[in-house]
Amino acid sequence: MADPNKVDPIHQFQITDIVSFGEGGISFTNSALFMVLSVGVIALYLLLSTQKRSLVPNRVQLVSEMLYEFVAKMVSDSAGKAGMKFFPFVFSLFMFVLVANMFGMIPFFFTFTSHIIITFALALLVFVVVIVYGLYKNGLKFLKLFVPSGVPGYVLPIVVPIEVVSFLSRPISLSVRLFANILAGHITLKVFAGFIVTLGGLGFLGWLGALLPLVMTVAITALEFLVAALQAYVFAVLTSMYINDAIHPSH
Amino acid sequence: MAQSRNTKRPPSGEQAGPLTSDLAARIKRAQAAEEAPGDAEMSAANRNLSGWNRGMRLGTEFIAAILVGAGIGYLLDLWLKTGPWLMLVMLLVGFAAGVLNVVRSAAEMNRAAPPPTAAMRAPDDEEDE
Repeated sequence: MADPNKVDPIHQFQITDIVSFGEGGISFTNSALFMVLSVGVIALYLLLSTQKRSLVPNRVQLVSEMLYEFVAKMVSDSAGKAGMKFFPFVFSLFMFVLVANMFGMIPFFFTFTSHIIITFALALLVFVVVIVYGLYKNGLKFLKLFVPSGVPGYVLPIVVPIEVVSFLSRPISLSVRLFANILAGHITLKVFAGFIVTLGGLGFLGWLGALLPLVMTVAITALEFLVAALQAYVFAVLTSMYINDAIHPSH
Repeated sequence: MAQSRNTKRPPSGEQAGPLTSDLAARIKRAQAAEEAPGDAEMSAANRNLSGWNRGMRLGTEFIAAILVGAGIGYLLDLWLKTGPWLMLVMLLVGFAAGVLNVVRSAAEMNRAAPPPTAAMRAPDDEEDE
């Protein structure tokens, strides 16, 4: 294992401290750095591109407007007019996840969405917002979410626990999906890229053989860009669907 | 200068008249043309992308419910000291919730991208015969 060509596909997910405050206390990690970078890039881009507010947008402004309209349509489609109240929330989540995933595609950059604690925190935020707003808006009627209409009373003892578990499983499925996609994608990419190096060490025939994983790596890179955008979209769509449940809590 | 402009205006105005009069129709046509391929592209992309995506979605929905059910049962068991029983019950409830999740998301997906109807499939069936 003392091979210099050894490939460690997990190494890219290691969290390292950049600045630590106090002994074993809070520290500013590479994960945190990229979160700050993502937020900074989003804020800078949106602010600068919409600064002129020209009626006929230039390309940069057009991209921001398209992002805005894309998310606005998504929210109003799944949560209706009342859901537009949550547009800033969904838009922030979408942009944050999207930029984080895209940052992850740049070599040597850290992908913080590949850590389940991050995605779980995001999903939990959605979950808490849904519960709090649902209870605030509908009061106890929010609990109707767990009682499907048209179900006879004697099956309720069975149906209600099932509905409750189904509801509680949402943040988990939401976070696991994003995390697993990104983690699996990055590991696959690294492993295939590692094959190129390992095979290349075998001389001429090795180089010929290395062509196959090289082609695969290029293809998977394209696929990963797709997954990065898609997972941000899925996260945002499901968020707006859950918000829809909070606004209209009956199935 | 002003006179020449005045004399020139009416013809150009007449030309602009028909030009702008069907402008609305042209915009509508262009929008329709733009939207139609856009939609087709979108749905085609959706269909291609979502194989992996749908599988992922259904899988996580199912597994998450089982994990949550078993987890709740385990915690209740720890709290009430009722042995493995509540965990077993809640595991089964978790399975049921998982199936419910899968059925719901599949219904949602079908609503978003309707499966081919009987009318669309009819030619195929005839070929089979």
